[in-house]
Amino acid sequence: MPWLSIAIAVPLVGAALAAVLPGRPTRLPFALALGATAISAVALVVTAFRFDPGQGMQLVEQATWIESLDVAWRVGVDGMALVLALLTVVLFIAAVAYGVGPRPMTRAAAGLLLLLEGSTLAFFLAEDFFLFYIAFDVTLVAMYFLIALWGEANRRYAALKFFLYTLIGSLPVLLGIIALFLSSEPQTFDMIRLASEQPIAGAGLGASLVFLAFFVGFAIKTPIVPFHTWLPAAHVEAPTVGSVLLAGVLLKMGTYGLVRVNLQMLPEAFAEYALPVALLGLVSVLYGALVALAQSDLKRLIAYTSVNHMGYVVIGVAAAAATGISAEARELAIDGAVLQMVAHGLVTATLFFVAGFIKERAGTRDLGRLGGLFRPMPWYGTLVALAFFASLGLPGLAQFPAELEIFLGAFDVWPALAAVTVVGIVITAALFLLALQRAFMGETPEPLRGLRDLSRREVIAIGPLVVLFVVLGLYPALALDLIDSASWLVGG
Amino acid sequence: MGNGGTLEQAKQIEEMMLGELAWLWPVGVLTVGAVGAVVLAMVLPRRRQGLIAAWAASAHLAAAGLAVYVWLDRGFAVIMSGTIAVDGLALTLTALIGVAGALCVALARPVIAGSDREGEFYATLTFASLAAVMLGMAADAALLGLAIGALGLATFVMTGYLRRSGRANEASIKYYIFGTVSGATMLYGLSWWFGLAGTTDLRLIGETLADAPAAVVIASTALVLVGLGYKAAAVPFHFWTPDAYDGAPLPVAAYLSVLPKLAGLVALARVLPMALPDDTAGWTTAIAVLAAATMTLGNIAALPQRNVVRLLAYSSIAQSGYLLMGVAALEASDQGLPALVYYAIAYAAMNLAAFAVVLAVQRERRSVDLDAFRGLGRAHPWWTAVLIVAFLSLLGLPPLAGFVGKLELFTAAIDADQAWLAVVAVVNTVISLYYYLRVIAPTVLDGPAQAQAREVERPRAAATPLALVLGVTAVATVAFGIAAEPVLSLAERATMLIG
Repeated sequence: MPWLSIAIAVPLVGAALAAVLPGRPTRLPFALALGATAISAVALVVTAFRFDPGQGMQLVEQATWIESLDVAWRVGVDGMALVLALLTVVLFIAAVAYGVGPRPMTRAAAGLLLLLEGSTLAFFLAEDFFLFYIAFDVTLVAMYFLIALWGEANRRYAALKFFLYTLIGSLPVLLGIIALFLSSEPQTFDMIRLASEQPIAGAGLGASLVFLAFFVGFAIKTPIVPFHTWLPAAHVEAPTVGSVLLAGVLLKMGTYGLVRVNLQMLPEAFAEYALPVALLGLVSVLYGALVALAQSDLKRLIAYTSVNHMGYVVIGVAAAAATGISAEARELAIDGAVLQMVAHGLVTATLFFVAGFIKERAGTRDLGRLGGLFRPMPWYGTLVALAFFASLGLPGLAQFPAELEIFLGAFDVWPALAAVTVVGIVITAALFLLALQRAFMGETPEPLRGLRDLSRREVIAIGPLVVLFVVLGLYPALALDLIDSASWLVGG
Repeated sequence: MGNGGTLEQAKQIEEMMLGELAWLWPVGVLTVGAVGAVVLAMVLPRRRQGLIAAWAASAHLAAAGLAVYVWLDRGFAVIMSGTIAVDGLALTLTALIGVAGALCVALARPVIAGSDREGEFYATLTFASLAAVMLGMAADAALLGLAIGALGLATFVMTGYLRRSGRANEASIKYYIFGTVSGATMLYGLSWWFGLAGTTDLRLIGETLADAPAAVVIASTALVLVGLGYKAAAVPFHFWTPDAYDGAPLPVAAYLSVLPKLAGLVALARVLPMALPDDTAGWTTAIAVLAAATMTLGNIAALPQRNVVRLLAYSSIAQSGYLLMGVAALEASDQGLPALVYYAIAYAAMNLAAFAVVLAVQRERRSVDLDAFRGLGRAHPWWTAVLIVAFLSLLGLPPLAGFVGKLELFTAAIDADQAWLAVVAVVNTVISLYYYLRVIAPTVLDGPAQAQAREVERPRAAATPLALVLGVTAVATVAFGIAAEPVLSLAERATMLIG
């Protein structure tokens, strides 16, 4: 069975079906979205069992598509692609369970969620640049409509900004793809071949420009400071599920591309620019943390901590690309970076969910107007505290092992840089503790006293995410055994 | 030998030419279609003039079919003593004109049904298509001038078809004056070429120009470019475009934006390498600069437009800029011509789809202002789907035809060492997002405007052809992108016979 193709195709077919469902409100769109997502999830779980860790790209499915350009339907998995695809379906199940827009879920919402899911999976599983690029841009369109249709007051502006920035990012990627295509012999869009042949070698002007084209594209998506300015607007205005998927899945596309393309196909150029890239990562870590510290809107705060957390990933990838790093440190750095993508996906998705929950109840996310929430909402408070601790990197929760591995890896090449990175952790710890104190401790203001605790729907949405980030924190080997990417990704 | 041949030789030539007529079947059927339409317009009563639409559309489709037949049965040839090139490029253009022309007739029918001189309109349109086909085949300076003139005349009449509309009159006068002046300028340039080479055969002109003084070559080429650039709506010969599109009946604007433009671009792709072989006088760089200017100016001017027809007019200027990238890459990369051909086909599909939706909206809401598109998604989900597909494809988003077209053009540009042009095109694509999205957004995100709460009663008459055009063009826009292989391999084979 072509399990990977099924995982991609079923949501896309579901999206098309959603368009022809009856227009009156029914439970059908919801059932369709949940069913398609579940089938996708099953196909990926089967893939995880068939997967042979440590063996690089495998389970490749191929079909001819555009022969004259050597474009084909090529999908496959390595450790990184597999865990990110699994993360994707987990978050989409949560997103569908929680819903977006009017209830019951409209066919437009179901269609857009499934379109986004199918294209995101296609992006992570694609081993052909044509498919890769199509998926990259289709996610953009789907997310645009999710924000523009069901976002908050300023949604039109935020959606346009998101579309514009991401398009600015995707077009240099297209030029880079063309450059790789033209330099390959015979010319191909096959990413597996391009990764093994590395047609653009060295770090001369041409290679540097191609590297830069890809880097800018993926840096905007990640986002790396100074390419991050679209992120707060998009997150604040997006509907809850939009923020969850944006931070949980779509940001990972940037760092995934950085590994899949810059690291795997242009390793020599990356080695040349590893330090500047790592420094940008460091700036993201510090800047994201400091700006988050200054926020009083909970969603904005979480958005900026994303900049901070994705900065660690960038540092890990850059360390793995650097020359002079030892083999063990390289493995730590790259595996830590991939684990951090997964951990951040789970934790930040939870954070955006809980920010949405409180906005729905109290009508505000402003930390200054919240307070004493533990009293009326003990369960909610406990889960928020857990997510905050996870996000600040408390041992026993998922981001700790990831960040630790990245530090250890980076320490081997750039000890000073790694040491400064720790400052970022200190700041995030401070800001989360402060936020916890402001929103949950002390007297409960009058209007907040009657707030109800978590509903069943909300528990269904975030429960699995919380369980997963706790389990991964206690037993990271669960993911790390699958990831085991170093030898394949960096040829070490 | 010129005039000095014997009777025997003349007979031989006549025999040969008669044999070569078989390559001209598509031209013949369009001629019969046009003349027949004139006759039918005189004979048929007014209420039966709709039959002429069917007749003209059939002539177009027959021309497309015969182009395929000639390609498969006869192959490519330069005929009539080297004046007419019936090659892959020309035949592809002919087929495209046949199909797109038929679609334009279908668009026009609901708009002009029952007006006086309806039949003559279809006749004129068919004459215009005939001239466009000849323009794509011209390998001779005289034929080139003739085709440009005939095309200008026919399209001028179409633009001014709404005789009682002041705007239509203004539009057609503007179009006519610009057209005549630019056509005359081009003829003047061609006369320089003729003076230098002593012949109108473009291939022989090419042999002469390769060794002629650079200043003369550049000056004369610039004059010729005026005429072809005007047809292609390339900067700086684009000024007529928004007024003509806006004043003309919408189906005519759709026609102008696709057929004469593509014929002009094909003529550029043929004439420049023939008359200026091996990049004489650096014409590829000149065209690359022209391409960059055209796309940039078109896109920037489109930004503030609230009238969607004018917006599409500027958009089509920008699209000319993208198409010119293919011409600029012709000499240095063998991907240039296929990229041009593929994008031409994709552009015809997506641009006609866009115009068809705008026409549908205009018929129902009596306006082409952006506000007329508010709430379209709720009222007409299928129109809106076509609109989103068409505009996202014009933007160049995958997996639509416009994306594969841009992929091809960017590849050609980078392969031809014009990476800077690809970068300019990328920047332009980002700029164009703003105005394409400006049309898409209100259809889905806004409720209908107050004024439209009371739906204008829908003109039912003869709306079927419109629905047909919407369906065909939207499906083509999607299919040419997702299943690009057949069109791409056609484009690979649509070669030119030069010399």
